[in-house]
Amino acid sequence: MTLNLETHAPIGEREIHPQDSREWAKIGLILLVFAFFTVILIVPVIYVFVGAFSNGLPGFLGTLSSRPFLNALRLTLMAVAVAVPLNVIFGLCAALVIARKSFRGRTFLLSVIDLPFSISPVVAGLMLVSLYGRQGLLNPVLQAIDLRIIFSFPGIALATILGGMPFVAREVIPVLEEIGDEEEEAAKTLGASGWQTFWRVTLPSIRWALVYGIILTTARAMGEFGSIAIVSSNLIGRTQTLTLFVDSSYRNYDSQGAFATAVVLAGLAALTLVIKQVLEHLYAQRHRVK
Amino acid sequence: MTSPRNPKSLEAQPGGQRSFLAYLGQGLLERSVSRRSAILFAAGLGLSGAIAACGGGTTTGTAPDGGDQAARPDTIDVTLVSFAVTEAAYSNIIPLFVEYWREETGQTVRFDQSYGGSGSQTRAVIDGLEADIVALAIPADTIQIQEAGLIEPGWEAETPNGDGIVTSSVGVIVTREGNPKNIQDWSDLTRDDVTFVTANPKTSGGARWNYLALWGDVSETGGTEEQAKAFVTDAFANVPVLPKDAREATDVFFTQNQGDALINYENEVLLAAQQGNELPYVIPDNNIFIANPIAVVDSYVDQRGTREVAEAFVAFLFTPEAQREFAKVGFRPVIPEVQQEFADVFPEVPNLFTAEDFGGWGAIREEHFADGGIFDQIQTEIARR
Amino acid sequence: MTSASVEIRPSNRPKNVLQKVSIPWIVVFTHMFVILLLPLAALLLRAIVLNPAQFWALATTPIALSTYNITFGTAIVAAIVNMLMGTLTAWVLVRYEFPGKRFLDGIVDLPFALPTAVAGVTLATVYNQSGWLGQFFAPFGIQIAFSRVGVAIAMVFVSLPFVVRTVQPVLQEIEPTIEEAAWSLGASRFATFWKVILPPIIPAILTGTAQAFARAVGEFGSVVLVAANIPFQDLIAPVLVFQRLEGADIPGATVIGLVLLLISLILLLIINLLQAWGRRYDA
Repeated sequence: MTLNLETHAPIGEREIHPQDSREWAKIGLILLVFAFFTVILIVPVIYVFVGAFSNGLPGFLGTLSSRPFLNALRLTLMAVAVAVPLNVIFGLCAALVIARKSFRGRTFLLSVIDLPFSISPVVAGLMLVSLYGRQGLLNPVLQAIDLRIIFSFPGIALATILGGMPFVAREVIPVLEEIGDEEEEAAKTLGASGWQTFWRVTLPSIRWALVYGIILTTARAMGEFGSIAIVSSNLIGRTQTLTLFVDSSYRNYDSQGAFATAVVLAGLAALTLVIKQVLEHLYAQRHRVK
Repeated sequence: MTSPRNPKSLEAQPGGQRSFLAYLGQGLLERSVSRRSAILFAAGLGLSGAIAACGGGTTTGTAPDGGDQAARPDTIDVTLVSFAVTEAAYSNIIPLFVEYWREETGQTVRFDQSYGGSGSQTRAVIDGLEADIVALAIPADTIQIQEAGLIEPGWEAETPNGDGIVTSSVGVIVTREGNPKNIQDWSDLTRDDVTFVTANPKTSGGARWNYLALWGDVSETGGTEEQAKAFVTDAFANVPVLPKDAREATDVFFTQNQGDALINYENEVLLAAQQGNELPYVIPDNNIFIANPIAVVDSYVDQRGTREVAEAFVAFLFTPEAQREFAKVGFRPVIPEVQQEFADVFPEVPNLFTAEDFGGWGAIREEHFADGGIFDQIQTEIARR
Repeated sequence: MTSASVEIRPSNRPKNVLQKVSIPWIVVFTHMFVILLLPLAALLLRAIVLNPAQFWALATTPIALSTYNITFGTAIVAAIVNMLMGTLTAWVLVRYEFPGKRFLDGIVDLPFALPTAVAGVTLATVYNQSGWLGQFFAPFGIQIAFSRVGVAIAMVFVSLPFVVRTVQPVLQEIEPTIEEAAWSLGASRFATFWKVILPPIIPAILTGTAQAFARAVGEFGSVVLVAANIPFQDLIAPVLVFQRLEGADIPGATVIGLVLLLISLILLLIINLLQAWGRRYDA
């Protein structure tokens, strides 16, 4: 990776302090971050891309046009479509409750919300199976109403929701705490309803945290594997998500197919970022108009 | 061989005719439903219902009415649950069977297929994955399903060969190009200058066969249990990496360049060779008869009304044409006719011992692989050295 | 359980406030109950067949004890690396303009979207002694893949986005003018950083670090491929859970899973309490 650093920062002129040492510190920090990313992230990701195109573009496109892949893509998108909105609503509510109220057990609640991160995916899958599986707690009820959760789409959706549960709350809470509640109180004093206050005052100030939370939830939902592997029947073309498809390609010595699918997942994650950039742009424009 | 994900073999899937866009459209529609439900759900327990509503299109298996066997429905859905490396074989066998069954009965069979680690598949079936047929890597796994009450005892006798074994394999030692360390037999793996990779017997049902091959190299050739344990300990002390299954072990050896040798099954090595990872291997003379069992899951076939076709499929797997497909991807066939055809691919092994020689899988599991069992003791012993 | 204590803070707000706050509360508890607590309870019930002595015996076998040690030790190292580098990354992304900034910002989230197995295979290949990066370390006798170093790198990889993405929005909210003011008032750069910039982002850093830590503790898919999985050397607890599960030992697997969960919960509580305690000085 070649770096061609500009020597002048566009962020305003600073008259009082010596420019040079600040510039050097800045370049140093940027280089350090790049070095870290190169070693941890960029090189491995390049390897994935090289693997995806090891049979050239036709091989890559071949994977992408196979029916099992398309079905897996559809299933993954459906899981994302269910999991992300539910987790966003939950996350926003949790953030408002935790950041704006003080109550006993607040820290405990916060820690419990963090918990899904530390639950090993295998254990997460096991939890769902213990509840909805054939020997599960709710099995008699599910049998009675003829509802299938595990080894079907609902199980996949539940596993996906569980994996991404904490993100939005955890992104939004620090911002809510940082900005304080003075403006909200002021709005309320001026007679705004709770909903108006949320929509006009709170939401604009937490927008970036919310966007990051959504991006992370989405990325995580697409990459969810360990727990889905346990709760899905992995039927080709039916209950196989993209990550399960990656796994099964790899096991059949089709590494190129596995890497190609990983590239697609990476691409989908990047797509959410493009959306973020567009939003940022639109927002900036609207503000200029005002 | 061609790509294992031959789309042709999947055409029989329900909904296979519809375009992807229509699929996605349906997904979006379901999504909007879920959105609406999501708002409702704030009021209470709507969640499970919302997700279930979305799942409507994807629930497994439309169980046909099992009551009336005489009048066959036009189509029937069958679920095959198998261990990972068999996909290449089954994707070729299934179209043959579909054709055969249509000629025989006029009925169209649609196969749902699931491939994964043998242990994980076993757990899934026990936890409610409604498989009609289970093809696993190790009889211990099928026995577990039997113990869960889903397969009736005596499933072994249901197959034409009378032992429930549909394919077999043996343990092999793969070496580096030119075999620089001159590894010829299991005993070479205990040498101080040799390191080798094997899947972990704790996680890989299949790797338990490797372990038994090492153990049997002593215990089945006149050695005592103590000597066998010392031998296996010496060998495992030379293992730098214990991947969780055979596939990963292959990768660790080939791609990640770890170890001078790799213990694996013959079928994995032959399959890897077909994919371009060709390295020399030896088949030790004292070896384990690796047996891959097949069984119809009695509870589920009776529930779903699929017994007839499931049993026909199992029987079909023992025909020469099906056995040939297994042989092509590296499994040893179990009927003499095909064995002769592939005699040059699968050389005969002089001294083969079976799991029964070690007291059967129930005893092996208990004695060797339970928590605190012999394998744990060996690992602790190695760490202490 | 805490719904009774919802309306704690006495205020002069309109009286229908209870009705207003209760909707978020219902959502929070329903979601948590259905998604997390109910399945967790079901898992607990599976382990309840064990008496405490059996539970203790299964939780404290020599191999199990060594896996806790390795898991938490390595996860702490990974969390600290993420804390330092993540904060720095967020800072660089928010405050500086440089070529490749968008690219950097764009790839931060990739570790979540990449299937963990792909991450594992890739890291093992890139970091083995003949891999793209591993070859530079091999001459110095440093083995990365198939050792604890590899485990740590996998943990850093999978939890990379947490700190960056938690600190980034808070930094964006803080006006650069505050630090400008501090500088112009003659504060040294060090003092500015320590007294002006750091305090408001500390909660975010801690939050991100706690999440990164939690994720590192639970990580299975990538670590199992990068580690040698040799007990007492680099076998981590989630892999042990998986091993017991594959051995059809569900109580055994549950026990280790619960121990992991409990320790994580306690550590998360400590971190969150620290944060709550730290906030007292703000007001």
